[in-house]
Formats: sequence, structure tokens, C-alpha cells
Amino acid sequence: MSSKELKKVGPEAPPPHLRVTGIQKRFGGVHALKGVDFEVARGEVMALVGDNGAGKSTLMKILAGALVCDGGDFFIDDSPVAINTPHDAAALGIQIVYQDLALCENLDVAANLSLGAEPVKSGWRFLPKLLRPLDDLEMEVRAKAAIDRLRVRTLNSVRAKVGGLSGGQRQAIAIARAVGAECSVVMLDEPTAALGVAQTRQVLDVVKRLRDTDHAVVYISHNMRDIFEVSDRICVLRHGANVATWKTSETTADEIVVAMTAGLDNGTNNAA
Amino acid sequence: MQPEVSSSPIDRLRKLRESSLGSFVPVLLALAAIWLYFGLALPLWEYWTDPDATGLRFIFLSPRNIYNLFMQSAVIATLAVGITVVLLLGEIDLSAAATAGVCAALLGVLVLAGVPGWAACLLVMAAGVVLGLAQGLLIAYVGIPSFVVTLAGLLGYQGLMQKILPTGNLNIGDPFVRAIARILIPDIWGLLLAGLLVLAMAALALRRQAERKARGLELETATTLWGQVAFFAIIVFTAVLTMNAYRSVPLLIVLLAGVTAIIGWVTTSTPFGRSIFAVGGNAESARRVGMDVKRIRAVAFGIVGLLAAIGGIFGASRYGSVSYTAFAGGSLLLESIGAAVIGGTSLFGGRGSVWNAILGALVIGSLGNGLDLTGASAADKLMFSGAILLLAVAIDALSRPAGTSAR
Ligand SMILES: Nc1ncnc2c1ncn2[C@@H]1O[C@H](COP(=O)(O)OP(=O)(O)OP(=O)(O)O)[C@@H](O)[C@H]1O
Ligand SMILES: [Mg+2]
Repeated sequence: MSSKELKKVGPEAPPPHLRVTGIQKRFGGVHALKGVDFEVARGEVMALVGDNGAGKSTLMKILAGALVCDGGDFFIDDSPVAINTPHDAAALGIQIVYQDLALCENLDVAANLSLGAEPVKSGWRFLPKLLRPLDDLEMEVRAKAAIDRLRVRTLNSVRAKVGGLSGGQRQAIAIARAVGAECSVVMLDEPTAALGVAQTRQVLDVVKRLRDTDHAVVYISHNMRDIFEVSDRICVLRHGANVATWKTSETTADEIVVAMTAGLDNGTNNAA
Repeated sequence: MQPEVSSSPIDRLRKLRESSLGSFVPVLLALAAIWLYFGLALPLWEYWTDPDATGLRFIFLSPRNIYNLFMQSAVIATLAVGITVVLLLGEIDLSAAATAGVCAALLGVLVLAGVPGWAACLLVMAAGVVLGLAQGLLIAYVGIPSFVVTLAGLLGYQGLMQKILPTGNLNIGDPFVRAIARILIPDIWGLLLAGLLVLAMAALALRRQAERKARGLELETATTLWGQVAFFAIIVFTAVLTMNAYRSVPLLIVLLAGVTAIIGWVTTSTPFGRSIFAVGGNAESARRVGMDVKRIRAVAFGIVGLLAAIGGIFGASRYGSVSYTAFAGGSLLLESIGAAVIGGTSLFGGRGSVWNAILGALVIGSLGNGLDLTGASAADKLMFSGAILLLAVAIDALSRPAGTSAR
């Protein structure tokens, strides 16, 4: 197993739903992504791993339209698309749970769950969309449905301000926001970082449920146990470049850790 | 959310400020304290200590004084409502009073040149939007901090006002402009209007409650529901009855309430308003969910410009003249920013309400009025206002949720 090609999953890999190639991103002098390829198919969980600063979050933000890349191509079901704004990504059915959650602490749970896609009351057509009355009851209904689906039992009211919630509750809300929307791709950036054992379980269950409902799921984590439990494939990034992609069933945690920290170049991998 | 047991005074303060009615409480308490002091404590004190006092004289709480108080606070309140909108974004506008001055001067010049009053008012409001939007565009799209841009605006617009009014003073006799402050709503209509408002509010609250029930959402407790209606009714009726007791409700006050209602509705009940709160709370999150943060910032400054223009019109109408000191050169700016902050709108963005700005303006107005009545010097007034402002900002800082200070 010396060439990178062999590490690719090969002919039996499912046809990708979302595929990007040659993604470049620079932050001033930092070359954060150096031509990264990435893909995820429907009905699979693709784990994205790499050391701190490998570029995982940057890649996700680009896919979510929160950052604009400096070069690269995007394909959905093999037809080229452009993702320049969060609206583009949402319209393509891409949803994300950010590593920093991106919640507004001054707003309540219901408002956060529909942030940027607030339902407005029907009628009022003479007003521009931004000035029509908010349907805040509909917001609450949707919020309750999303929270119930996640089975967040510790959250009693969708009218509580997010600023007063615990880290785990906030994370649950960020996840509910992503999976509550109509979407085909869900990307979770370290969604269990602040969670207890039971809540981590719930998130992993959510991820599995998303896979079972034919979503394409991207799962970022530093926890190898979780990754091996939930993922179908594992994509390793190192210093802003691809190392390789493995089928989870055909690799081991040790192999992945070595790939993350040392890459494949120095041959350690061959011993695996 | 588990019911939390921790209840240090600061925690309780925070809780209080989070609830919808609760945000009114500190400013109402401040208002009550000031009114009790000037209205009851001082007259009683004088009565007891002064042997030749003929009787108790409650000048401050007399309907006549309260009426004047409302009129005096109206211009501050209008500007404070506008400033609240940018404070919600976490920005500041130092140029609002100067903008109001330019607009009032322009109004004077226009009506003098024979432009009909209503057309002049519309033109001036458009000018206000342009003056505000110009700053907003610089802040949002060029990325200069609002403090700097509006400081430049303050200086520039002060100069502009002097250019428009070389003499520094201009009388306005136009009947349309004067009518805004002169027209009184007949007593009975004022009461009728108040009654209708309260009924409408109660009906809306009940309908909402019914919808909540129908959709299986958590219900408001009866106390909150009727508390809100009663609170609203008490405020509206006391205001109307007091003003009726002296004269009647002036059109100016009705217009101010109307403008505030519109801005209040936009900020709390529309997607645009929601995005203002979102940007004020976490601009990066707002950007990531696809909100056009730059446009929101620019438009907010346009709104301040519009309200500054309206404030300018109100002022010109009330004084019957435009003078440099009444607007750009005077204390109007600091009083209106103070009013917004005393009302409980956070300087850190994301929390506050335009209705509170009106109460804040009343606090500032009452303080000035009360000190005037007791014959305090201008120096005393300034120092008192400073102390109250400091107190308000301290309450804001203490009641901010922990951990957000880094923003
Ligand atoms: N907004 C930014 N400005 C400048 N540099 C950035 C920015 N965002 C990310 N970087 C840089 O890009 C590189 C990749 O960061 P990224 O956040 O994608 O890493 P990551 O793989 O998600 O790491 P972690 O596991 O710690 O979350 C880092 O070197 C980081 O310093
Ligand atoms: Mg990251």
C-alpha cells in the first residue's frame, strides 16, 4: 500500500453526493487548505479527522458558504455548483453545526433555531419580505419539534435565552438547528466536544438516524472510539492537504492516528 | 432548563432583565424614585422646615408640569428611539442631535422659501435618511468604527447646520409645522383612543393565548397575561388622564407614540428586526446564517437619520424656532444617548427596547425639570445626569449574562 490511490476506497465506493476538488484557502500568509479533495455520499457517514489546525473547520466553513475559497470546484451529484454564500449552501441542502456553535446568546432557543430562515405570517404581501410579521408561534412549534426529535430532555422551554443554557444544551440546539432544516448534507464539526456520556450517545444516535434517512453526513471528531463506531469512511487531513481516505471497516485507530500525526510519506504506514 | 437555585442579588437582577416586562422595571423604579423625590419628598420637606409655608404645593406632580415634562422629553425621546436601534447592533451614533439640527434648520429655510409645510417635512425626513445612511455606508462597507464616523458626522453636521443658519436662529411660523405641537386631541377622543388601544392589546393577547393552546405550546400564566394588559392600561390611562387634566393629549405625543410603535414593531416582530438583534448578539453567527450584516448596519443608521429628522421637526414645531443651541450645540445628544441607556438598552448590543427609550427620556426630562423647579444650577443638573447615567450603565454591566464581557 504505497500509493495514495490505493488508499482511496475504490470501485465499490458509493457515488458521491457532494464532491469538492482542489479546494484552496489562504488566510493572509497561512495556507490553510492546499488543494483538498473531499466527498461524501448519501446514506454514509464520512468522518473527517486531522490534528489541530489541519484545516477541517476551514473546509467545512467553505462547504457551508461561511468562507469563500480561493480556488476549487464543487459538485452535487456530479453537476458543478457554486457555493459563495450561506444561502447557496442552504439552497443546495447543506447544513452545518459549527465548532463554535454560532448561536446568538441574547435570543431564545426558538429564535436561534430559525435564525436566518424565520417564518413569516401569510398574507401581508404588500410588505417586503423582511418587514412582514414574524410567525413566532410557528417558530416555537418548529423548535419544539426539532428539540423533541433530538430527545433533549434537559431543555424544558424553547423560550429560554440561549445565554442561560449549559454548554451541552447549546450544542444540542446547534445540532437541532442543522438537522431540523430540509437538507441532504449535514456536517457536524466536533458536535460532542462539550457533551456528557449520555448526550454523546444521543448525538451518535442522531448521526446514525441521519444516515438511515439517506442523508450525507460529515462527522468531525478527535474521539477515535466515536469515529469508529459511527463512520463508514474516514478522510484524513494533515497540514491542509489530503493524506488519504479509508473504509472504516478496513483500518484501525492506530493507522488513522499515525496518518494524522505523521502522514504516509515516511513509510510508517506500511507496517500497519 | 433546570430551575436554578442560585439567587445572588446580581443573578436575580439578570433574571429580571431577561423577562419581557422585567426590562421595564429598573427604569420605572428610577422614574418613580425621581417623581417621589421631586413630587412628594421635597414639597413635604419644605412644608415642615419652612415656618411661613401657607400649604403644601405639589408643583412637580401637577398636571401642568407633567404635561410640560412630556413635551420637553418628546424630542429627546424621538432621538433616543433612533439611537436605541443602533445600540441594539452594538454600534453608537454621536451625530443624531447634529442631524436633527441640520434637518430642523433645513425645515426652517424651506418653509421660509415658501415650500408647503407638509412637503418640507417630507423633504427633511428624506434628508435625515440620507445623512444617516451616508454614515451607515461608511461604517458597514468601509469598515470604519461607528464611533469615529459619527464623531466626524457630529462635527460635520454641526458645521452644516451653521452654514444653513448663518444667524444661528430662525423663527418658524408655518402653520402646518406649528400645528404638530399645537393641536390637542379633544379629551374624549384621547380617552377613547386609550380605551381602544387597551382593548386591542387585550384582544391580541387573548388571541395569542388561544393560538398557543391550539398549537400545544406552553401558555402564558394568567398573571403574566393580565399583568401585561393591566400594566399597559395603567400607563396609557394615567398619561392620558394627566394630560387631560391640564389641557388634552397633544398631537405631538400621539405621533411620538405612533413612531415608536412602528419602530418597536419592526425591531421585535419582523425578520429585519430579528436580524438586528442577531447581529447585536453575535454578528459572526448572523453572517453565517446568511444575514446581510453590512446592509443591516447601513439601514439601521438610515433609521437613526429618519428619527433624528422627525425629532428635528418636533423640536422646531414645539419651540416655534430653530436654534443652534437647541439641537446640535446643546446637550440634546448626550441626553438622548443617556435616555436610551437609562432605558436599559445595552451598550454592548443585542438587548433593549425602543419603549424603554421613552421611559429613559422621561427620566432625563424629569431630572432636568425637577432640578429646574428647585432652582438648581446648570452645574448641578449636569452632575446629577452624569450620576444617573453611570448608574444605568452599571446596572447594564452587572445584568449582562456572565462571560459575554469579552465582546
Ligand atoms: N479566520 C482565520 N484567520 C486566519 N487564520 C485562520 C482562520 N481560520 C483558520 N485559520 C488557520 O487555518 C488553519 C486551519 O484551521 P482550522 O480551524 O480549519 O483547523 P481544524 O482542523 O478545524 O483544527 P481543530 O481540530 O483545532 O478544530 C489553522 O492554521 C488556523 O490558524
Ligand atoms: Mg476545527
